[in-house]
Amino acid sequence: MILTTTTIDKIKTRMARYPSHRSAILPALTEAYRQVGNLNPAIYKEIAKIIRVPYVEVAEAASFYTMFPKNETGRYLLQVCHNISCSLRGADNMLLYIQEKLGIKLGETTKDNLFTLISVECLGGCSAAPMLQIDDTYYENLTREKIDSLIADLRTNAAHKNQEAPSTATPDSDSTDSKDDV
Amino acid sequence: MEQVLFKYIDDPEQHKIERYIENGGYQALAKVFKDYKPNEVIDLVKSSGLRGRGGAGFPAGLKWSFVPKNSPKPKYLCCNADESEPGTCKDRVLMERDPHMMLEGIIICCYAINAHHAFVYIRGEFVFPAKRVEEAVEAAYAKGYLGKNIMGSGFDLDIIVHTGGGAYICGEETALLSSLEGDRGLSRIRPPFPAISGLYDSPTVINNVETLASLPSIFNNGVDWYRSHGTEKSPGTKVFSLSGNVKKPGNYEIELGTPLSYVINDLGGGMEDEQYKLKAIIPGGSSTPLLMPDQIDTPLDYESIAEAGSMLGSGAIIVIDERACMVWVAMKLINFYQHESCGKCTPCREGTAWLKQIINRIERGEGQNGDIDLIIDVCGNIMGRTICPLGDAAVMPTESIIKHFRHEFEYHIEHKKCQVKTDYPF
Amino acid sequence: MSGNGNEKEQITLTIDGQELTVDKGTNVLEAAAQIGIEIPYFCWHPKLDSVGACRMCLVDVEKIPKPAVSCATEVMPGMVVKTATDEIIKARRGVLEFILLNHPLDCPTCDKGGECDLQDNVFNFGIDKSRQTFTRKRVIDTQTKTTFDDKRIGPEVWRNMNRCVTCFKCTRFNKEIAGEWDLGAFQRGSSTVIDAPPGEQIDNLYSGNVVEICPVGALTNNDWRYKIRNWKATKADSICSHDADGQNITLWYDHRQLFRATSRPNDAIDDGWICNIARYGYQYINSPDRLTKPLIKKGGTQVEATWPEAIELIAKKFSKIKGDKGSVCIAGLLGGNQSNETAYLFNQLFRSVLHSNSVDYRLEYTGLTDGEHSEAYNCLYDAPFQISSLETADCVLIYGSNLIKDHPAVNLRLRKAYRKNDAKVYTANPVETKSGDISTDELIYNPDCGTAFLVALTHALIDGKLYKNIDEAKAAEIKSLLEPSNLNEAATRCGIEVDRINYLASDLAGAKNLFILGGDYLRASSDRSRQANALYNLANLLDIPDSNSAILASQANSKGARFLGLSPQLPAKLAKTLADKWGTTLPESTGCNTSEILKGALEEEIDAVFVMGANPGMRYPDGPFVDAALDKLDFLVVADLFETATSLKADVVLPLAGWSEADGSYVNLSGMYQKFSRALKPKAGIKAGTEILQLLMTAIDPQLKFDLSSLSQNTRDVIDSWAIPQRDKEKFFPVKQAHIVDHEAFPYRLLIGNDLHHYGYLTEHCPSLMKFASEPYVELSTQLAEKLGIDDGDLLRIESTSGKLVLKSKISEFFEGDVIFIPNNFSAVDVNCLVSKETGGWVKIEKLDDK
Repeated sequence: MILTTTTIDKIKTRMARYPSHRSAILPALTEAYRQVGNLNPAIYKEIAKIIRVPYVEVAEAASFYTMFPKNETGRYLLQVCHNISCSLRGADNMLLYIQEKLGIKLGETTKDNLFTLISVECLGGCSAAPMLQIDDTYYENLTREKIDSLIADLRTNAAHKNQEAPSTATPDSDSTDSKDDV
Repeated sequence: MEQVLFKYIDDPEQHKIERYIENGGYQALAKVFKDYKPNEVIDLVKSSGLRGRGGAGFPAGLKWSFVPKNSPKPKYLCCNADESEPGTCKDRVLMERDPHMMLEGIIICCYAINAHHAFVYIRGEFVFPAKRVEEAVEAAYAKGYLGKNIMGSGFDLDIIVHTGGGAYICGEETALLSSLEGDRGLSRIRPPFPAISGLYDSPTVINNVETLASLPSIFNNGVDWYRSHGTEKSPGTKVFSLSGNVKKPGNYEIELGTPLSYVINDLGGGMEDEQYKLKAIIPGGSSTPLLMPDQIDTPLDYESIAEAGSMLGSGAIIVIDERACMVWVAMKLINFYQHESCGKCTPCREGTAWLKQIINRIERGEGQNGDIDLIIDVCGNIMGRTICPLGDAAVMPTESIIKHFRHEFEYHIEHKKCQVKTDYPF
Repeated sequence: MSGNGNEKEQITLTIDGQELTVDKGTNVLEAAAQIGIEIPYFCWHPKLDSVGACRMCLVDVEKIPKPAVSCATEVMPGMVVKTATDEIIKARRGVLEFILLNHPLDCPTCDKGGECDLQDNVFNFGIDKSRQTFTRKRVIDTQTKTTFDDKRIGPEVWRNMNRCVTCFKCTRFNKEIAGEWDLGAFQRGSSTVIDAPPGEQIDNLYSGNVVEICPVGALTNNDWRYKIRNWKATKADSICSHDADGQNITLWYDHRQLFRATSRPNDAIDDGWICNIARYGYQYINSPDRLTKPLIKKGGTQVEATWPEAIELIAKKFSKIKGDKGSVCIAGLLGGNQSNETAYLFNQLFRSVLHSNSVDYRLEYTGLTDGEHSEAYNCLYDAPFQISSLETADCVLIYGSNLIKDHPAVNLRLRKAYRKNDAKVYTANPVETKSGDISTDELIYNPDCGTAFLVALTHALIDGKLYKNIDEAKAAEIKSLLEPSNLNEAATRCGIEVDRINYLASDLAGAKNLFILGGDYLRASSDRSRQANALYNLANLLDIPDSNSAILASQANSKGARFLGLSPQLPAKLAKTLADKWGTTLPESTGCNTSEILKGALEEEIDAVFVMGANPGMRYPDGPFVDAALDKLDFLVVADLFETATSLKADVVLPLAGWSEADGSYVNLSGMYQKFSRALKPKAGIKAGTEILQLLMTAIDPQLKFDLSSLSQNTRDVIDSWAIPQRDKEKFFPVKQAHIVDHEAFPYRLLIGNDLHHYGYLTEHCPSLMKFASEPYVELSTQLAEKLGIDDGDLLRIESTSGKLVLKSKISEFFEGDVIFIPNNFSAVDVNCLVSKETGGWVKIEKLDDK
């Protein structure tokens, strides 16, 4: 079993709310993604059992939605918006800057397995461009300095987390999720 | 300018139910339960002239009136919070900062159409807005605004917050329903229209966040008040997302009919860098045709924008200055639509992929003679031939960019490079 | 269709200037076709819901601003449609150009060539040059630039994604019609890919249909791949030779071999969908293992002989036994998939020429271990149930049938009733079945306690006063015929909660068009007559029409054989018809049925048996008994296509033609008479059943006059003369749950039957079907496997009092509890050694240490 009882309970709770348990496919994929960080067929099978739908339906849905990585990624998946509003504010050069800084190309993961860099379509942060998303958090109005300190913070954070307990939990943020001032 | 939706947007406590109530929240709902029968709610919304804020601008009250009264099936409301049209980021703010306004609107709408289940379909990337909405829903249950016998009215309602998985197409109403049912987000042919047979084959209304959030103010202040804002055919206020090459990008609420130049120059502070002139404006989200600099005074209402050759759409104004190569802009847009095509119908699936190949080839400097006419012809074979509007959405900006900037495409093909090398600094 | 005579509302509209009137609910595409106007399409199919995806069928409809998809536009009064305006022609060409963007244009080597909708549509409506200048390959992943290549996605299905037009017919068929979940559409946009889910393959029983409905060569059959251009093949109309549904097929062949079978849509039976057994089950005809020369046993070994030698020997031997010991010492057993014509002559050989009434066709695993069938059984077996009528059902009880294995076409119709008519489906079986997913309740009764379940249901109907057409006194009287004598006891006995039985009873009683159908588990049960009595009572209590309550027949022509009198006792009317046809008198001696014939052989009361197209040595339950009986025979003749467990014991073996090698006819489970045409002639040395029987009869009685030209008509006359018994609505039978044999130390109940992809003993000669299941196995539940520490593929010793076997385990999610299953389609294993009258099929299981 890949999914933890906590995840399974969350899926079951969500499923109970819908008039049709099939509707819980996407919420279940979301919960699984939150726990694991990516999705794969073994997870689809577990989900199919939990919400009592055919495995193929879960696999089909998962393949359709691009938000869920289907392969292992680094601890931090940097999803950089490359759509028009961000591009007009320098997103293309920002992507080059991050590639240079991390020493990886688009789609690659750093050797320390900490960062994976991908570009994505519009994330709805258009008025605070350029921006990127890591886990659940939007980092907006980015500049070179902000990228520098963000990556430094994440490195520290990861080192810190490793000392404590291995966790894939996302940074807590109660006040706002948009980190304008990292 | 009077702020309606954004009245308390800067109040950091507004997302909490106590503050919302303190600021007059849930009074519209109380009034609705006390003074209006469901069909009277629909009539009032009809007479308010409120139009859907998601993109199509369809009159909200009219949409609700299509729900069959005598159907034995349950009715559903889906609040479309899958905000994904490039340039648009207004619903996110409404959900993050004032989620109860939307919830109150949802409850009013459900009462009107006799729905006892409502879904808020929030795009998956909006984790924080979804969290805020979830918290608001919980608070509303705790205070008796949701659940059984709301405010003693005898009306029951459950709201389910559903998050997406990264698919622009799920903002299209039928694809949203497919997605909500657990399927891949494929759009569906109409008829049957969702109002007759939508979610789980039952009558369903799908409204945008902003549309629903507009309801409480209409009931609090009345139709006359509402219609005193905006224009005759486009009454009320609307939030516009301003992005691109302006000094102060952001979300701004204005009365419909306000000139575009007011948003760009007064609210947005003008061009990002004065040495670069305005080149083009996308007025209503990436799927709408361009407006040119000489159209900057076009009033922002459904009719005026249409007259100017574009659409108000979701109200996302993208300002492009002269540093941008328009082939590059076309490429950014077609790459997006190709990526987001659900793949169900042929013209959209194949057509967007072909357009992407051709436009990228031109941008790379490998364009061939005849490519421009080919693009226009392929666009013609997509336009109006697809199941849902995504095909049209891909075609309209492409056609419009070529119409206004054909010379840049020709230059690209002839000289194998950009006339203007796009290089926005970072 | 619904038969209640409601005339459909008519709609008048205009298409391309022609006015026409059609049924309400018709779509524009179908309406146009009715007046000969062809609107091209890819994704539409008359049996699938319209999705409007391909956009090929666009038409111009007055008052609709944009071109409308004709496949999803319902006709409206006064509608004005134009199918060939300039705009529409441009739109179609546009769609074709889009579809051809990545299409490889490899028509010369594509199996679909010649029957391809894309070829036809481009020919009729397309343009002859392309503006596409990119590589014609669909890209899966733009970052890795991977493209699609041919991929085998199932034992028989190949997928070529570049040819795909993304019409979703395959996935829609699979999910909507078949209710199967082994094919999906993955990714999105232009990267959409049709595939089996990760790690699996498409191997469902109906999977061949996805190839057949593919409008292009995106899905092709392994069976047919690269073998012959379809226009070079000759076609013959045929009928599936395996199960009793009578699925209609077309056989494709040339002078060398049969190449494929495709559906020949018959809405009354198969709705145009055929199962893989109908599709690939023809292949045994092509087998290199076919018998091609007669064999005669000399000095203990079978040696090749000529036909005259063989026929002469049989004639001489039969005549001698008849003369020395009497006709009663000769018996005939005929397989259930022999044609009516063969059955007619077989009957004539025995009854008229040899003067013996000892003939039977009931010798599959569903044989007569319990004596002759009861009146109720025969009445329900003959019931005029029509497969197509099932789709109008609002409630169905499937009792004792693994419907998908037993009756693939009926199974699809049940799913249609569920899908289109919201029918409530109940299933009651000793194990879970595939129909569980559409069942309101899936009732599993304890092994051998089906009767108790039916008794419980009867009690529930009576206790709840849910019966019709009888009074309370009569109800009380019926109750007294039942044992266990009350609902609680009966429910306990069958292991199903009283509440569930009451719920079922009230749904059955509330239904407007109820069907109760029994199948293989019932037929195979030694308790079948009691269960039939109970079903008969239920049909009367619920006042169901005769056509809605039936026991379904098992083999392609078991019903034909029955109607032709291939059993020892003949109804008087049939006896007279036969005697008239043959111009003889029929013997008056009492005939023996299958079990009596075998018993007679064992006790040396029967000396000679002629087995034609059957393999009791492998298929008849109580293996040790059958072996001993056949060994005791003085003279055994076997006519068959292959060497079998039975033929190995024979004194004379005759190479028999397969069904496709002669013209003939079958009667399906509905009583529907269906002709089939000969495809390829049999190879030299092989003779059709009718020819063998004619040779034999004339050899025994040279005076006999034959007119083979009237054989077909004579056969048909006899079949038509069969009087279908009507259920006596006043009649109720006593029903008593039988005592279960003592099986201490043998805790597990063994069920024997067909593998999903096999039927009878011939399908193991079909290479395609062997790809789905190639060897015997023992199927057991997850719980049982856990309890015994068994993993998938472990070797297990299965032992009963009568025998033991070693088999690989196959753990099934379908099963629950202590029931296990072994298929009897594989000659490699003598499954029936485990079953005898004494053991009743109870076994113990032991895991072997080494694999």
